[in-house]
Amino acid sequence: MNYQEMISALQRYWADRGCVVMQPYHTELGAGTFNPATFLRCLGPEPWRTVYVEPVIRPRDGRYGENPYRFQHYFQLQVILKPAPEDILDQYFGSLEEIGIDTKRHDVRLVEDDWEGPTLGAWGLGWEVWVDGMEVTQFTYFQQLGGLELDVVSGEITYGLERLAMFLQGKRSAWELEWAPGFTWADVYRENERQWSAYNFEAAPVDVLTRRFAEHEEECAALIARRLTLPAYDQVLKASHAFNLLDARGAISATERASYIGRVRDLARRVAEGYLADAPV
Amino acid sequence: MPTLLFEIGCEELPARAVYEAEAQLPRLCEQHLGVRPEQVFVGPRRLAVLVGGLEGQTEDRWVKGPPLALREQAAAGFAKRHGVSARDLEERDGFLGLTVAAESLNSVLPGRLDSILRGLNFGKTMRWDESGLRFPRPVRWTCARLDRGSVEGHGTTTRGHRFTSGEVDLPSAEAYPETLRGADVEPDAAERERIIREGLDALGQWRDPLGKLREVVHLVERPLVLEGVFDERFLQLPPRVVETAMQSHQRYFPLGGNRFGLVANGGDPDTVRAGNVNVLEGRLDDATFTFERDVQAGIEELAGRLGSIVYFAGAGSFADKTARLEGLADRLGGGDASMEAARLGKADQSAELVREFPELEGHIGAEYARLAGFPEAVCSAIAEQYLPDSAGGPLPSTDPGRVLAAADRIDALTVSFSLGHKPSGSRDPFGLRRAAIGLCRLATEGGLTIPRELLPGEVAEFVEERFEGLLGDVPVEFVRAARTASVPDLGSVARLARALHALPDEQLAPIHTAYIRAGRLGEKEKAAAKLDPELLTDEAEREVSQALTQIEPEITGAIEAGDFDVAVEAGALLGPLLDRFFEEVLVMAEDPAVRRNRLRLLLDVRDTIGLLGDLSQIPR
Repeated sequence: MNYQEMISALQRYWADRGCVVMQPYHTELGAGTFNPATFLRCLGPEPWRTVYVEPVIRPRDGRYGENPYRFQHYFQLQVILKPAPEDILDQYFGSLEEIGIDTKRHDVRLVEDDWEGPTLGAWGLGWEVWVDGMEVTQFTYFQQLGGLELDVVSGEITYGLERLAMFLQGKRSAWELEWAPGFTWADVYRENERQWSAYNFEAAPVDVLTRRFAEHEEECAALIARRLTLPAYDQVLKASHAFNLLDARGAISATERASYIGRVRDLARRVAEGYLADAPV
Repeated sequence: MPTLLFEIGCEELPARAVYEAEAQLPRLCEQHLGVRPEQVFVGPRRLAVLVGGLEGQTEDRWVKGPPLALREQAAAGFAKRHGVSARDLEERDGFLGLTVAAESLNSVLPGRLDSILRGLNFGKTMRWDESGLRFPRPVRWTCARLDRGSVEGHGTTTRGHRFTSGEVDLPSAEAYPETLRGADVEPDAAERERIIREGLDALGQWRDPLGKLREVVHLVERPLVLEGVFDERFLQLPPRVVETAMQSHQRYFPLGGNRFGLVANGGDPDTVRAGNVNVLEGRLDDATFTFERDVQAGIEELAGRLGSIVYFAGAGSFADKTARLEGLADRLGGGDASMEAARLGKADQSAELVREFPELEGHIGAEYARLAGFPEAVCSAIAEQYLPDSAGGPLPSTDPGRVLAAADRIDALTVSFSLGHKPSGSRDPFGLRRAAIGLCRLATEGGLTIPRELLPGEVAEFVEERFEGLLGDVPVEFVRAARTASVPDLGSVARLARALHALPDEQLAPIHTAYIRAGRLGEKEKAAAKLDPELLTDEAEREVSQALTQIEPEITGAIEAGDFDVAVEAGALLGPLLDRFFEEVLVMAEDPAVRRNRLRLLLDVRDTIGLLGDLSQIPR
């Protein structure tokens, strides 16, 4: 099963279980959790189910396309089931069977891994899922988002698509993954890694980004005041990405770091409160 | 008498939570069922107790209400609270009350099992549905059997292995372990541990340097021990990096060379082995990339990056910490190697490999220093700075190692206390007790001279208090006495306490008594400013005075030389003379000049013996 077939199979599997198949968000995110289809939709009481692929942008993790285990850009498949049904784990294991992982032949295990997202004021408890020692999924029961206790607990299933594909295809390196017949992952993205690593570590303009962070912060506050919560949330994401780039450039000192994270968290909290206040009852 | 089996079925619990439950279940059973369980079964998906010898029913119970005199005011309320009418209340021994009739075990069990479930306390819990119940992971089923009967509100089926079995009927309470064994689950944690140990023993000399076995026992329900072999090219990495990559995430057990043991929860052995080898080789590949990047940067550049890494909120960066360590190493008398080790000791905090594997701190810094050609004395000090890492753990083996280890602890304690992070009760999130004990051991067993003046007041007190439990059979009072002596360094406090304790009681008793008497009398009235030998009339007092002029410098000299047995024995020589003095000499003489002179002599006695510490701390 190649990379794109695997993604299609997982999307179809979850679509058959009532998930809205969404597409990636239109701005840079550090994790699928940041997508409003997760962060905002998991607030409040309304039921929600979705599945989507999210390109994850983590500037610091780039290695110029030299290390086949670290990228500044890779993919997650994100599933949200809200509220988390009683058989959520069985549904998840069913998805592994769906893409050809025989859970009787392999050693599939849930290993404690609690999740915390300091910039989102969020945490949850869950596991990393191992298949024969390979971590292929993060599973989290959200407890708090935007600093707010959640009345309805969502289950978040985040597949690491490269890891999962490496497992399925028996490859040791993401470069070698077959994306589609005749194309490897490296064919599609390796040059991307090289250039973006150079941008993230060398070329990203520190002055501009520092200014931009402040502008996003300001615009976010203005939009919250006008109760335009969804556009305000985009500003949180953009500020967060500016912070990540500044961090990769080594432009953030130790003390500043905590304060930047606190500023993003504060915005995320205010957006979450605004979203709940304005939600249709 | 019936036997009960109660099982709480969960999604995979963290090992820590399993241990927390295991420790509490016996007491909870005793509290709510009146007996301790015969057996406790714990593991990732179930917490269960087998309880025998239960009473088939409760006894009649008298519930005491208000006194008869308060019938008017209180009877109605009491009756209402217990769901009866005030007319039904009985009288007994001057009180109103009611008799609760005996109930069958069956009718009280649901409530009691619920109390056991809700009575469990865990460090970290979550919610998962509208029930609002908090538990470390979701509770998905409960199963109870009273002999062959059922208990209302609980199922009579359990679940076998997650992937090879399903829901299975539990025919009776006693059948619990065998039923699960038939469903691919070993419910007894001790048995799982035995299987794992035996399996690893069969593979050869296995090691568990990071202590993962305790967790692994609760990561599996059906342990399958396998051997893996990875490519030899990874043996070029520092052995500790390879070992950490095996243990830290993957929980493998090194078998030496390129072999390792792994514990799976079932599956086809060849498939599972091949997958795990692949994962480990991937991790080692990645570690190689990271290691090479760090080496390429070099230890000097890594040290240069420390300004951007916070050491502790409020205590600056690791660059600031490094500057403080250099200062301390100097004041601890460190030589060139110590100073260099202090300068480079924290460099690996900016290494990518430490970000990946925090357990490598120190060790990998030493490796990078070695590769940069620093002398072995510097490298080993960097590696050993975190020793001792446990109460009885080994100390650094070299002088520079001991200097850096002490500097690191003094700084950690000073910083934490100044920011108000003091340990209280059992709460010690920053491990300050361990740091203080380490410091004490560096001073005693390690023989490092740690000037007391390097420790700010509160810190000194906290550190020196640790001696109270560290000096074997030396009672705390001797430690307290020694702490008040003006000895210059930490190790001397301990050695003085030992010397005082080693003094035979018949030698200690006279100076102890004399010290207290001299202090008490001497304070009675204004003493002469200086002793006048002309005014010493009695032989006994002349003897004491003469002895003092010899013994005082002897004690001072011995303390300076660190020879505390000699100091204490010199002090003890005063004992017989003082015995005679108090017998023969009238201190409060009529002549005021003689009196004040004798008071002066007593104060000199007190101060001289006091060089050995405030002996009044020692109760006799």
